[in-house]
Amino acid sequence: MSLSEWSMKDLKVWDDKIIDIAKNHGLDWFDINYEICDYYEMIGHMSYHGMPSHYNHWSYGKTFERTHLNYNMGQSGLPYEMIINSNPSIAYLMMQNPLYLQILIMAHCVGHSDFFKNNRCFKDTDPEHVVSRMRNAKKRIQSYIEDPSIGQEKVEAFLDNLHAIKYQTNRYGTPRKTRAEVKDNEVKRYNKYKEKGISLDYDSLDTKRLLKPDHDMLSFFTEYYPDQFKNWQLDLIEIVKHDSWYFMPQIQTKILNEGWASFWHYKILHELDLPDSMHLPFLKMHNAVVRPHLGGVNPYHVGFYIFQKLEKEFGLEKCFEVRNTHDDVAAIRLYLDEEDFRELNFFAYQNEKDGSAVVSEVTDHDDWKVVRDEMIRNTGINMIPHIYVDRVESDGTLVLKHEHDGRDLELDYADKVMDHIREIWDKEVKLFTIIEEEIWEI
Amino acid sequence: MSVFKNHKRVADRSASDRRRHKEKIEKAIKEGIHDIVAEESIIGQDGKKKIKIPVKGIKEYQFIYGTGKGTKGVGSAQGQDIKKGQVVRKAKQKGQKGKGKPDKPGNTSGEEYYDVEVSLDELAKYLFEDLNLPELKKKQNSVVTSEKVKRKGYRTKGINARLSKKETLKNKIRRKNQAIKNGTFDPESGERFPFHEDDLKYKHIAVTKKPITNAVIFMIMDVSGSMTKRKKFLARSFFFLLYQFIRYRYQNIEIVFISHTTEAKETNEDDFFKKASSGGTYISSGLAKAEQIIQERYSPSSWNIYTFHCSDGENWAEDNPKALDKMRNLVNISQLAGYIQIKRTQDKIWGEEMAKIFEPLISDKFKIVNLSDKKDVWPQFSKLFGGKYELI
Repeated sequence: MSLSEWSMKDLKVWDDKIIDIAKNHGLDWFDINYEICDYYEMIGHMSYHGMPSHYNHWSYGKTFERTHLNYNMGQSGLPYEMIINSNPSIAYLMMQNPLYLQILIMAHCVGHSDFFKNNRCFKDTDPEHVVSRMRNAKKRIQSYIEDPSIGQEKVEAFLDNLHAIKYQTNRYGTPRKTRAEVKDNEVKRYNKYKEKGISLDYDSLDTKRLLKPDHDMLSFFTEYYPDQFKNWQLDLIEIVKHDSWYFMPQIQTKILNEGWASFWHYKILHELDLPDSMHLPFLKMHNAVVRPHLGGVNPYHVGFYIFQKLEKEFGLEKCFEVRNTHDDVAAIRLYLDEEDFRELNFFAYQNEKDGSAVVSEVTDHDDWKVVRDEMIRNTGINMIPHIYVDRVESDGTLVLKHEHDGRDLELDYADKVMDHIREIWDKEVKLFTIIEEEIWEI
Repeated sequence: MSVFKNHKRVADRSASDRRRHKEKIEKAIKEGIHDIVAEESIIGQDGKKKIKIPVKGIKEYQFIYGTGKGTKGVGSAQGQDIKKGQVVRKAKQKGQKGKGKPDKPGNTSGEEYYDVEVSLDELAKYLFEDLNLPELKKKQNSVVTSEKVKRKGYRTKGINARLSKKETLKNKIRRKNQAIKNGTFDPESGERFPFHEDDLKYKHIAVTKKPITNAVIFMIMDVSGSMTKRKKFLARSFFFLLYQFIRYRYQNIEIVFISHTTEAKETNEDDFFKKASSGGTYISSGLAKAEQIIQERYSPSSWNIYTFHCSDGENWAEDNPKALDKMRNLVNISQLAGYIQIKRTQDKIWGEEMAKIFEPLISDKFKIVNLSDKKDVWPQFSKLFGGKYELI
């Protein structure tokens, strides 16, 4: 065990400087609580997305094992920085890191926290209460596990089912009418017609009458068919749904969030007057973080590129505007042009049946647009197929549809997910999708 | 205002989730094992032999996109020349394996397989944990506890004196090579690649305690001409399981191998599992041989005796009464006796099958097991020794 070359006091001294610089630039972030931990604890927190408290499930144990294994095999480093969207933000600093790296991380975290606090996508994530909310959820789930009439097996199996569709919930943060609101509207409509002396051809507002295609499968279950579930199951659905809602903005803004944080650690560290002994390793680390990944898309790289470009072409104010309003898809569409795609030399590739991948488009001629569109389809929520509730048939069959955008579902997986949905829904479940240009029912 | 504090150590927060995950994997291994216990390749191997068991990963399924037409990926090649049609990832070669990578060629969905490599000894542990020899009793001068101190592999924790420098260094080198391969460490950079806490390996010393009980198992197998290759294989599978089970679970248990046609002879383990034979069948010959050996060497007053006989159910009719008689004698002096008949329902048998002949003997001390297929071997075996499978 090596003793650190730095003390808590050093961290405070540098943090004060970072705060001054960041404030001067107009950054506005949540206070940050830094926790110093060792690498093992770091992996532990990573497995739960950094949440200080999160409900238990074997899948997080699996994540831990995999991260730990990869780390020990040298296959991957650990993320140097981890910060959660809460007020105050909680960030972890690994004991083993040298001082220059801690400084970089603290500056980086200020960028993230500022992004969490100001970006539009995060407005409903309730950072004030997320920590206690998750702690309470954990406690409730634990109580279901300890309840002899429920127990670990049932809770675990139901969570398995829910995890299979956890992202099939309000994807874009767009307003969705709840069942109560839909009913309200219908009642108003009914009364309006009645005043005019016209009687509509229905006599009751039952669930089936109210149900329209619903893009939030999890809410659909709890709002329209609560009687199918026991109270603990309804609670689990709510917990998983809120988990997804909380994390979805981070999926949506990975590039901009990392870009913004990198943009700011770079700026702040240049203004910090670091001694050479720290400045040189800092530059080296920074370059490693934002380097392009050959054959892949490094969000740090693309995000940093976008903000640097915006600052150069439109000034810092524009950067703040983008930080406020956009998600990754919008930013790629609006701010990366033909020249950028050439410069970054992105290409699109097709996966072949034999496991190989062949370049299908490069950025010459008009093909750059194809490459861009493919990049957009591989960004954020677009990576996750969109399945929605189409209707419930009179015999109770749940009919789901896949919003097909040219990409076919992986059938093996779809089959398995359908098994999970059939565990949730007590009647028949059907899914319609398109496979190789033909309609397919699963 | 930032706040700095040392992380309040929560007792290894993911421990319980890791345990659940491990339980799931072990369950998957166990399920995988049952399919392979009757594989030809493992029969007759010693305990050090390593067997690869493909265990399906405990996968979490979600809707994902396939890799068909219309699904493309995007990558960067900054500063590199790249052309349409260029292959950026090579096809997987058949049989090519990688850690945690899909093992099945052409399976693009990336089915997660853990190729778990286990030795027969470990296999035995998974299989036989819950099983016991029934009715094992104290006999004269029987139960003594033996204590053995043995070097037993390596551990990640230990006292300094037991640090294994060799294993530790091996770990570090392994990690370093991986890091170089993955580009996370540059050997040219002159940077140190330090030892890591997880590299440390300590020699482990274990004390094992096992009760010694006097017990002897008789494995009697019909190797006559009517025992086709397939039937012999099933018989061997069964005995092989039995053999591994006993080797794993009990110390100092003696095993007597008898193979017979119309005549019986005591053989060694090697011949028993490997040698073929042919000729007619006197079931009684094998049983008589066992009885004779018991009289000579294993007095029932001081030995727990277990007798198992495998055959295809065919016997020359004139031998039937004698066989029943001999079996009755053996049941009387055994803790448990079993007759394992290897026969598919559609198999025709001349005369009456042995399972019928032996039926009157069925009791707590005598069981009849029918094996018709490879699939039966494990469930039937398990049931015989108190496992959870129902006899079909």
